Amino acid sequence: MNKQIRRLAAALLLCYVALFVQLNRLQVVKRDELADNPNNTRAVLREFDKPRGSIITADGLTIADSVPSAPGDKYKYQRRYPAYDLFANLTGYYTFAYGATKVEKKYNDVLTGSTSEQQLRAITNLLSNTDNTGTVKLTIRSDLQFVAKSALGEREGSVVVMDPRTGAVLAMWSWPSFDPNQVVIHDDKKAGEVLTLFNALPGKPTLNNAYQERYMPGSAFKIVTTSIGLENHVFDLTSTFPNETEWVPPQTKNPIQNYQGELCGGDLATVFARSCNTPFARAGAQMGADVMVAGTQKWGIGEDIPFDLPGGAKSQFGTVDDFKDAIPKLAISSFGQDNDLIVPLQMAMFASTVANGGVMMQPYVVDETLDHEGATLDKTTPAVWKTPIAPETAAILNQLMVGVVQRGTAKCCMQLENGIQAAAKTGTAQLNALGQPERSHAWITAFAPADAPQYAVAVVLKGVNDEISDGTGGRLAGPIAKTMLDYALAHPLAGS
Amino acid sequence: MHPLARRSTELGLVIMAGVITAAAYVLASLGKNATIPPIIVPFFVAMLGLLILAHLATRVMARGADATLLPLAAMLHGIGYVMITRLNDHLAGLQTLWSFIAIGAYIATLIVVQRAPDLARFKWTFFVLGAGLLMVPLVPGLGRSVGGAHIWVRVGPINFQPGEFAKILLALFFAGYLYERRELIAASTWHIGPLRLPEPRHLLPVLFAWGFAVVVMVGQKDLGSSLLFFTLFVVMLWVATERALFLVIGAVLFGGAAYMSFRLFSHVKDRVNIWIDPWSRYSGKGYQIVQGMFAVGDGGLGGAGLGQGHPNLIPAVQNDFIFAGIAEELGLFGATAVLMSFVLIVGAGLRVAIRAERPFEKLLATGLTALIGVQAFIIIGGVIRVVPLTGITLPFVSYGGSSLVANYVLLALLIRVSDSTSRRIGELPDDPTINERYAAWKLRRKIRKDPSPTRGSGIGVAP
Repeated sequence: MNKQIRRLAAALLLCYVALFVQLNRLQVVKRDELADNPNNTRAVLREFDKPRGSIITADGLTIADSVPSAPGDKYKYQRRYPAYDLFANLTGYYTFAYGATKVEKKYNDVLTGSTSEQQLRAITNLLSNTDNTGTVKLTIRSDLQFVAKSALGEREGSVVVMDPRTGAVLAMWSWPSFDPNQVVIHDDKKAGEVLTLFNALPGKPTLNNAYQERYMPGSAFKIVTTSIGLENHVFDLTSTFPNETEWVPPQTKNPIQNYQGELCGGDLATVFARSCNTPFARAGAQMGADVMVAGTQKWGIGEDIPFDLPGGAKSQFGTVDDFKDAIPKLAISSFGQDNDLIVPLQMAMFASTVANGGVMMQPYVVDETLDHEGATLDKTTPAVWKTPIAPETAAILNQLMVGVVQRGTAKCCMQLENGIQAAAKTGTAQLNALGQPERSHAWITAFAPADAPQYAVAVVLKGVNDEISDGTGGRLAGPIAKTMLDYALAHPLAGS
Repeated sequence: MHPLARRSTELGLVIMAGVITAAAYVLASLGKNATIPPIIVPFFVAMLGLLILAHLATRVMARGADATLLPLAAMLHGIGYVMITRLNDHLAGLQTLWSFIAIGAYIATLIVVQRAPDLARFKWTFFVLGAGLLMVPLVPGLGRSVGGAHIWVRVGPINFQPGEFAKILLALFFAGYLYERRELIAASTWHIGPLRLPEPRHLLPVLFAWGFAVVVMVGQKDLGSSLLFFTLFVVMLWVATERALFLVIGAVLFGGAAYMSFRLFSHVKDRVNIWIDPWSRYSGKGYQIVQGMFAVGDGGLGGAGLGQGHPNLIPAVQNDFIFAGIAEELGLFGATAVLMSFVLIVGAGLRVAIRAERPFEKLLATGLTALIGVQAFIIIGGVIRVVPLTGITLPFVSYGGSSLVANYVLLALLIRVSDSTSRRIGELPDDPTINERYAAWKLRRKIRKDPSPTRGSGIGVAP
């Protein structure tokens, strides 16, 4: 019987060798193939089991972090957004089933600690078992962000505050917003329902309207038209414009009117401060499509803004073809109606450019990325994006925008505390056709102090139902801009 | 090695298995909750106490037995236990209870079965008990169907799988019957054409037992057990008769039975189809095995780490698919350690069979070892797609009271055969067993009370 028992042993051993061979096939040879199977969710799950770094504001407030889940949870960490909706459209969200957005998306590698630099730095403490997740520090100041939220209240619109000298965005708030905590719950089905609801809500709460949307700018666009006129020597401070209520451009019988059909004219400072329409319509038509389109392109209109958050919108003026044999259209676009669409962030960049002597900085919200020990991985160096105007032009525009505050459309609402002089341009973009109830976007873009600018701001209130006049933008958006500038000037960031 | 040194080896190995289990337990808790489990000290003390208790029972009652069987079982038991605690807190509590019962059953078996050859006498009892147990799930009111297999019995709050115990009883029956008739069967005086076959009357009971088991289990849709029983039967017949013809007959019978069931039973057909192509059946019946393969693949060489994988994505991972969970979290290295443990158990068990001098013990050890070795192969092979998947537990590792208790009883029987052989070949003095001492003491007392010269003088036990 022993012979048979030995053979049995050999046979069983062979069976186990077969198991061992198959195990090697699955765990070594076909490992990647199994991992790549679309039904295999383990790789994504693994990412969800790793800790994830925090996102903090310039003043050190944690606005996104991960904490260990409750025992029995299917993922090990729970993403939290302690400030609820306040930074939702900067941090974005990070979900298992629905992907990530904003900083959570763009800086995923830093947050998970998987950039090669972080991997390299983590080698030294391989044995100490600390995680190597990174931190993303924003340029956003939590206090300014909160002030923006309070000032805007429950009005649909956006507020952007930036440092004109660097391009650093200090506050970027839009209402409506959303609570990302409700999207990152670990019940995928419920999270999907919440997200579907958020995406379907009016006002697009999951979009950062300040850089992902664009609106008709109205008279705020006259900054651009004026700069083109000055740069091309079409007019200067000594030029005067006829006092008129309307002007009929070539190729049409429909007149272009000033707000409420007012009589409006005078020197450049006056027509800019009062925001007359006809002088800029005339100037645009006079300069022609080639000059106007080239001039707007120098401001980056029609181009992707080199912003460090994904999914931004492009401002629009139009192409030469759009205005071919359409002088009335060009004339209307020259004072910010019809074809024009401006991203609120870019509107803040217009004021910043004037404030910064004609140099347009690249806007950014991520100040620096930090490794697990708090050492800097990467710090954003302010960079010039464009130089749309000469310093002399910028100086004239500065002077014109001061005029708007001293005696123009922003006189009502932009007198800053402590006598600090602001410079501004208002806008009221008429949305309704003739005879319909009046509806407009109310704009203001401003900077202060006018002689040594530190802050630039842009405010847009979306589609407000109010009487449209040359003062609408200043009256509605102005107080918000004033609140922002007053607060920022009185509360410089500690340690900066 | 001196036979008594085996016990010290065993103690060392058992402690090692305990330490490995405790370390794995801590790692699993760290991996899952990032905390050291607060009950680690009582856990470690209880577990080590349990293992040392099993060791002491062996030392007292089977001191000549093989030293590796118990530590290997403890090792597998420990890995399985850690996986179960890591998977499901509720089941972990139950498995703890079952662990105590299983070690109790191990010790009880050593106490009850003091001399292996005695078992041969009860072969028909084992047959009736084994057949009866297999029938129990079919009794209305007792039987329960879990996951399509009708193999469970519920008595009050306790669920158990009688098949786990039936396999041991049938192995005992086969060993007892075949050792008695093996020469008659092997002689094969019945000529059919060129074939020499055993007299039908000698073979009939075995065939009947086999046919009965297979039919009952096919009726219960328990393919894994059918396969296991069939293999057990063929292997024991072959080893007993030393005639390869029975392997051929077995293979032909198996082929026929397999083909018939493939044609007749849709669930058999399903299993084979899933085995051949699980991928296209991912959203249906192939889901479990595909998830199992994802888990195994994800483990890679070193594994995800205890408590750090996602074995819970596999349905019923704590039962049939526990090997996939181990391969995921412990990787190729850990899974190979489990395979090696089974290979070593098979090796140790068959060494016991070879060393055994009496045919009954040889056959019994062979049968019991084949049960463990084949059962582990069937389920691991099913999980990693070497053979079609048939639901069956992984001995010592899977969650399940019946399985754990039955396999510790099986282990105790192997240990008993091993110890008997040591005594038989004179490695150890063949001391009287506790039962024998008790009988002798009773007899001496009787003789003292009634010193009749006509009886008792010839019965005595060496002091």
